[in-house]
Amino acid sequence: MTTHPYILATGVGREDILAVDNLGKSFGGVRALNGVSFALRQGEVHALVGENGAGKSTLIKILSGAFRADSGTILLSGVPYTPSSPRDAKGCGLQVVHQEFNLLPDLTVAENICFEDFPRTKLGLLDRTAMNAKARTALDTIGLTDVNVRWPISRLGIAQRQLVEIARSLQSHSRILILDEPTATLTQRETVRLFGIIGDIRAQGVTVVFVTHHLDEVFAICDRVTVFRSGETVITQDIAQTTPAEVVRHMVGRELQAEMSTDATGRSPGAVALELRRLQTMPSRDAAGVSLLLRYGEILGIAGLVGAGRTELLRAIFGVDPARSGTVLRDGIELVVRAPVDAIAAGIGFVTEDRKDEGLILSMPIAANVSLASMDKVSAKGILLAKQEAEIAKKGGARLHLKYGRIEDLVSSLSGGNQQKVVLAKWLERGPRVLMLDEPTRGVDVGAKAEIYTILRGLADQGVALLIVSSELPELMALSDRIIVLADHQIRGELARPHFSAERILQLAYNQH
Amino acid sequence: MTSTSATTNGFSVQRILNSAGIGIALLALVVFFSVYTEHFLTAANLTNILTQVTINLALAVGMTFVILIGGIDLSVGSVLALAATVAGMAITLPGISPTSAILLAMLAAVIAGSVCGVANGVISAHWRLPSFIITLGMLNIARGAALTASNAQTIYSFPPAFNAFGSAQIAGIPLVFAVVLLLVGIAWFVLTRTVFGRMIYAIGSNEEAVRLAGHPVFRYKVAAFTICGLTAGIAAIIYMARLNISSPIAGIGFELNAIAAVIIGGTSLNGGRGSVIGTLIGAFIIGVLANGLILLGLTDFMRQMITGIVIIVAVILDHYRAKLSAS
Repeated sequence: MTTHPYILATGVGREDILAVDNLGKSFGGVRALNGVSFALRQGEVHALVGENGAGKSTLIKILSGAFRADSGTILLSGVPYTPSSPRDAKGCGLQVVHQEFNLLPDLTVAENICFEDFPRTKLGLLDRTAMNAKARTALDTIGLTDVNVRWPISRLGIAQRQLVEIARSLQSHSRILILDEPTATLTQRETVRLFGIIGDIRAQGVTVVFVTHHLDEVFAICDRVTVFRSGETVITQDIAQTTPAEVVRHMVGRELQAEMSTDATGRSPGAVALELRRLQTMPSRDAAGVSLLLRYGEILGIAGLVGAGRTELLRAIFGVDPARSGTVLRDGIELVVRAPVDAIAAGIGFVTEDRKDEGLILSMPIAANVSLASMDKVSAKGILLAKQEAEIAKKGGARLHLKYGRIEDLVSSLSGGNQQKVVLAKWLERGPRVLMLDEPTRGVDVGAKAEIYTILRGLADQGVALLIVSSELPELMALSDRIIVLADHQIRGELARPHFSAERILQLAYNQH
Repeated sequence: MTSTSATTNGFSVQRILNSAGIGIALLALVVFFSVYTEHFLTAANLTNILTQVTINLALAVGMTFVILIGGIDLSVGSVLALAATVAGMAITLPGISPTSAILLAMLAAVIAGSVCGVANGVISAHWRLPSFIITLGMLNIARGAALTASNAQTIYSFPPAFNAFGSAQIAGIPLVFAVVLLLVGIAWFVLTRTVFGRMIYAIGSNEEAVRLAGHPVFRYKVAAFTICGLTAGIAAIIYMARLNISSPIAGIGFELNAIAAVIIGGTSLNGGRGSVIGTLIGAFIIGVLANGLILLGLTDFMRQMITGIVIIVAVILDHYRAKLSAS
């Protein structure tokens, strides 16, 4: 990799503008940050990389004042820095450009850019001329000359919106600009344009933090890179003195290598339970789609970065968001899924990624949640049978070692791990032959995680076909018989259990062949 | 009892205390008016209150279903007028026996109400549009249809048996109130003891989870609106029987009283939380306030102001209740 031509050799200041030391942060019992330390130098472009859930987002939220750290210190220009709100952080000269846009779609580009500080006339009225001029200058600065400041945001494409967002954040004369995956929605051409802008910003002495999943971008425009792994910072390196392969090695880490076992699971998969033929969830130019086979008694893991199309794949199979094209075969017969009810009738269960929004009815008791997908078993002629329901819930709970007070307690009173067990119990009550799980242990503590693994292995031993999406590689490698790696809604590779390696999976996920 | 209702429909002890809370508020009002007015606690006045509460309660029962799924139905007042008009035309058909005319009218009112409800439900659920807007449209459609069909004329001279039904009393309890109380009982049973009721609550709490569990959310939503239209049809029959007329301008603003009864009764406008027993108490709070404040010598205008304040206080209390149950 060569240095990007846009990066000018302006004298990068050597002094640290921001120093983060041993930052810690927990959510419930889950440690999100566990000793994060790194420093930003004045005027550098600094990349933060790491797997999903390695702690980058949490760190950014602490820096921008959305969360407060539990422990550790942050020094901004040598002074302790504890922002109480994003506004406070902006006041200190630190600005984050989020992945999710904060633009108001029905206001004009100029109104959005000047939103934090509208120019006013002497009478205190909005000075449109000044506002439009200010916005024009802001857009010209980043080379967005083809956008009219009087257009509403809704008229712009996603890439242009991203650039407008950047133009807006530059208005506040930030000293530190944090870009959270700014290229995720950009095309190649726009990415190059963005790199040019980053080079200009850097030349003005602004420090840029660049969070990305694309290592080639890191090596194209960054001065230094800090690698995150399981809530810790592993290393900070000069880009000139490292290689993509080395960065991936740091992301994977030693202890993780030791943790994983490549021993055979001892299961012998049976007949094909589910087959996907060129299933496409996104409009794409290379329209190969996803084709795969899932057998009874097998755990197939799906690895990939956020946005690789893993969740979309499961949702398409289950009929939540219909696939654009392709075929699903169940026991060799084509399955037409118009809605989840069709998938359920075909013996498929789906534990979704987001149990609060899609899995549970938090305001209802545990029992009502367990029986939600099996109303026929807890009712006769449409009348609920409270006893049967309580029994089924208790049995389902006992099977999964669910810890609860009373079965009629609200499910919201349970811990994350036990809530997840309730979602599992709901599907197990239907006796699915194919069970799909999206991030089965997200927000679950270590103890409950191990229990859930045992449950899932037990299901596979009983002949259930399992399709598991997880961002945690140790989890996937511990559970799966095979792992398929997705990137850009395509299969980038498949690994059999003896060949599992976190490094190989990440290489495929990051498109570093 | 406590544990059964908990397993069937998400009533915690806390929630029962909450509904007891509005029950206590109602009791306090009754005691207050009994002490401070001369005529409140008389048999004639209590009968009067029951009669006055009846129509609003009938509308509020159906409204409870719609609000529980997270919707709203602004059309019930107009739908009442349309159902009353259709029923009025049926009951005054020449050449049929009074009994057939009454039965035909009842059937017509119930069908007219249900058809409007189905339309509200299908349109808002299929296109996933806010029911606020769709039922606002229906408010105008039904009113216009009632005025057109009746030529803007009030229909009267019903069979005496029908008018007798409207004024009949059993031990001081108006028959029409007993009918609506039965309706409350049925609604309570459906909401707390049936799969259908479970789904109404579940959809209001987390529609996506219900859909992902394989349930036909669309059908349940349409059913909720249909029930609301149906009770508007029943309210129309009671209106006709009590006033012995059917007017195309009946029921103006009734939807707001029905919504107020449901909200004061502790049902959340966000759906998923509440009960028809709360609605019963809510309708009584409005009825008792209306009656008692007039007896106190306040004007009807002041009564309106106080009812408005009660609605706002109820919603503020609901806000804290929601916070409490979320923590």
